[in-house]
Amino acid sequence: VSPAPAASSVASAEGQLGLGLDVARLGRRLAPVFVFVAICIVGISLSGFHKGFPAHWVLGSGVPNWFDRLDSWVTNNQSSNFFLNTIIGGIGSFLNSATNDVVNGLHWLTWLGVITLATLVAWLVGRWRTAIFAAVMVSSFGILQIPNGGPNGISVMWEPAMTTLALMAVAIGISIVIGIPLGIAAAVWTPVSRTLRPVLDVMQILPAFAYLVPIVVLFSIGNPAGVVATVIYAVPPLVRFTEVGIRTVRRDVIEAGEAFGATRFQVLRDIQLPLAAQSIMLGLNQVIMMALSIVVIASLVGAGGLGDPVLQALQTQDLGMGAVAGLLIVFMAMWLDRTSAALGRRTTRDADSQRRLTRRQLAAVWGAALGVVLVAHYGLHLGDWPAGWGFSIVDRVTNAMNWVTTQLTGVSASLSSFLTLHVLNPLQSLLGDVPWWLLVAIVGAAAWVRGGPRRAIVLAGCVALIGLTQAPVGYTFQGTTSYDFPAWSDAMVTLSLVIVALTLDLVIGVPLGIAAYRWRAVDNVLRPILDFLQTLPAFVYLIPVVALFSVGNLAGVTAAFVYALPATVRATTLGLRAVQPGVIEAGQSFGSTRWQLLRKVELPMARPYMTLAVNQTILLVMAEVVVAGLVGAGGLGLDVVTGFSRSEVGLGAAAGVAMVLMGIVLDRLSQAGQLEGGHRQ
Amino acid sequence: MKDQRRGLRFPGGRRRVAAVAALLVATAIAAAAIAATATGASARSNGKPTITLATNSWEGSLANNVIAQYVIQKYLGYKVNLVTIDEIPAWTAMVQGKMSAVLEEWGHSSQYSQYIKKSHKVADAGLEGPNGNIGWYVPTYLLKQHPELKNWKGVKKDWKLFVTPQSSPQGQFLDGSPSYVTNDQALVKNLKMNYKVVFAGTEAAQLTEIESDYKQKKPVLFYWYTPQYQNQIYKFSQVALPPWTTTCAKLKPAAINCAYPPYHLYKVMASTLPKTAPPVANFLRRFNWTANEQNSVAYNLAVKHMSNSQAAAAFASKHASQIKSWVSKKTPYTKVKPPAAGT
Repeated sequence: VSPAPAASSVASAEGQLGLGLDVARLGRRLAPVFVFVAICIVGISLSGFHKGFPAHWVLGSGVPNWFDRLDSWVTNNQSSNFFLNTIIGGIGSFLNSATNDVVNGLHWLTWLGVITLATLVAWLVGRWRTAIFAAVMVSSFGILQIPNGGPNGISVMWEPAMTTLALMAVAIGISIVIGIPLGIAAAVWTPVSRTLRPVLDVMQILPAFAYLVPIVVLFSIGNPAGVVATVIYAVPPLVRFTEVGIRTVRRDVIEAGEAFGATRFQVLRDIQLPLAAQSIMLGLNQVIMMALSIVVIASLVGAGGLGDPVLQALQTQDLGMGAVAGLLIVFMAMWLDRTSAALGRRTTRDADSQRRLTRRQLAAVWGAALGVVLVAHYGLHLGDWPAGWGFSIVDRVTNAMNWVTTQLTGVSASLSSFLTLHVLNPLQSLLGDVPWWLLVAIVGAAAWVRGGPRRAIVLAGCVALIGLTQAPVGYTFQGTTSYDFPAWSDAMVTLSLVIVALTLDLVIGVPLGIAAYRWRAVDNVLRPILDFLQTLPAFVYLIPVVALFSVGNLAGVTAAFVYALPATVRATTLGLRAVQPGVIEAGQSFGSTRWQLLRKVELPMARPYMTLAVNQTILLVMAEVVVAGLVGAGGLGLDVVTGFSRSEVGLGAAAGVAMVLMGIVLDRLSQAGQLEGGHRQ
Repeated sequence: MKDQRRGLRFPGGRRRVAAVAALLVATAIAAAAIAATATGASARSNGKPTITLATNSWEGSLANNVIAQYVIQKYLGYKVNLVTIDEIPAWTAMVQGKMSAVLEEWGHSSQYSQYIKKSHKVADAGLEGPNGNIGWYVPTYLLKQHPELKNWKGVKKDWKLFVTPQSSPQGQFLDGSPSYVTNDQALVKNLKMNYKVVFAGTEAAQLTEIESDYKQKKPVLFYWYTPQYQNQIYKFSQVALPPWTTTCAKLKPAAINCAYPPYHLYKVMASTLPKTAPPVANFLRRFNWTANEQNSVAYNLAVKHMSNSQAAAAFASKHASQIKSWVSKKTPYTKVKPPAAGT
């Protein structure tokens, strides 16, 4: 029934064809083994069989030292250097006034105006349901109150919500202005694309904590720092989706345009860009979600908004306060997500399925909205949401969370100690004991198998470079900074966390994804939960995770696992759905049962998507390594956090570089598999 | 193509447009009906600059700011914003003139010499009152069975008591936020103790861990400090480390083998503040209170969930004369005492 045995018999028949062919094949098979042995021999001759990475192999005076020097140069030259003072300073004050203008604008609109406009826009781009959803979500900023949660002790969250909204609006606006032209440039000129790709990789993998201090030094605290941090984190998907969208426009359509004498620019403007609109909208949607996921990070640099109560709750271990503030962030994300997703659908839906709004009708609707705004502002003198119109569920949430935690503590404590003692600790000491060259050799050989010699050299080099980012033992800079940065051993701690979290995600996420594909009911139950988990700031569940699993590696693994799970489940379901119905029908006609079909046809066919799921899970787990550092899982995450919170730029940046190198290795190893899987189809 | 793109398409047709327009008008009318409940915007901006105070990650910092905000707004008539920010970025912000003051500094001798002594971008506003005390602590219930834990030698002997899965096979020393400068790794090494220093990563995570051990009366050894409002809820006892000496203070960080130095908590402000808001600068120089007073305000904020203004009013009702003295010109400024080197 299955095609696999047939394929292998063809392969063995080919193998018997001739000796010459066999030698070539043998050579190709053995190449990775040679690579492995060669790297091992070089490694042994360089540093012997000692475990880990030699402590005296330091690049110059150490990688952290480069960053410390740069930081000290910037601090000393900030007021005299033209670039730092005029250009960077100018950008900073522009961002500050832009954000303040939007904040003032939102307050001028009054709460009624904001709700009216949000609802109207949602209705124009979507359906009645989208509009009602938007109205409810925006109203929740006023209704769900947090005693003492807002700035200066207010309990209505409208004002902080508007602060966050303004910050998001400016950051998303700047992301569009930067991201779409960059994406177009990358699609048109391949060299640009080649240069941009590693830069985007770094922007996505480098944890925000690693560049927060430099941003504060350059742009000062508050709005500018918040906007810049958000743009750096959120812009890469827009560039990528724009480029992919333009590049995947079908060749024949472009040729048709060229046949009619269109210039290259005309083809781009009139054919490629309109056809790429859906992909660009998808990128924009991603930008919104990514931007909202670092609202709390922006609060760390004084940008205020909804992240403040989350941090304040962390400080006083107020479970309910953190959860409700996190919920409001989730609501804002869901509102903007649904509205922008509707806009994305609208740009591509064919014109026949819906009628157009005439200019006059459009004018009438906007005019009425303007009327509401003017009446609300001048007639009614409304301002922010009135304090009396809402309630607090903070205490109830606290009690519920405490109850759940108490019920689960017994089970979770024994699970925690079992997993820590018998899985994490052995894995960690195993990875810590491995000599550096063995890991380089393994990665080199695997990369050779996956992607050939060039990839093998690059990835093996990256692994070795991780060790070289270290600081000399007892490193000091200008008498004010001093720390140890054992890059290799910290990277091994992080690697063990990534491996365990990834395994858990796949073991739990893939079956959930299959179940969601098989049964509609499971999908319906899962979808809102996954939405929630994806946008809930990790800072909200730090305390419950520690309460359940105790400070340490397992708490870190749990946080990373929870964060990445939605992506695993979604990619699995998506992959299975993409299997063509014809193949499934063929399987059915051979009389396969439902499970045979899943196992033998659908899952193998969905393999490229499965590897994509693995790849995405790895990247998300890497992104959460820093958060793991906040609950007692050491490693590179803790180094980055330490660098940020002590303003030790060198430590934070060097640990960030090590994390980027590790992320690139893991990403490329898993991506290579994906490409190969794609070829096999 | 072009024609289709012009103007938005919408589901439904003319009737729906009318419905939406009607709905919007109805909303406006409904809002008009309830206009009585809404009040006008607040009065503000009387030419005085807005004062910003840095709230750091511990509750005592917020307690200081809540009281200062109350006094400055009520007695001096300036608007005050509290900004949540980490310790070192707050110094950067003061240098840039974006932050007015920080009311509780622990150590930071290098920032002190760089920004106060050398560049004069930040000004010393004198001592805050409480003395900071950092050290090693155990829950007091442990001392009944293990009285030797009062001293580091006992802690060294009893390492088996503190073994956790995370630190296994060594004992666990629980550190908190990496932003607090600690000597614990050096101490463990230089006093030859069989402990592994585990950083909880945040003070909140550390405290959650301590609380959960406390409830189960389990052994736990940790980095802690006073003034801290949690000390009013839990009974912790300090472990005596080898005493702090001036010779020990001169050692390199990795060689330190004695207790933490005493911290004289102090206040700092942007050096421009005395010119832009003289009454505020003078108040900040006079502001001074005790650890107990700060703890009680922090307790009201964090445990009793009072709002900032409630907590400030509760304090003001009992300490009217103290507040008056902070804004009176007759009260002398608090003393200036630079932080000890290496803190």
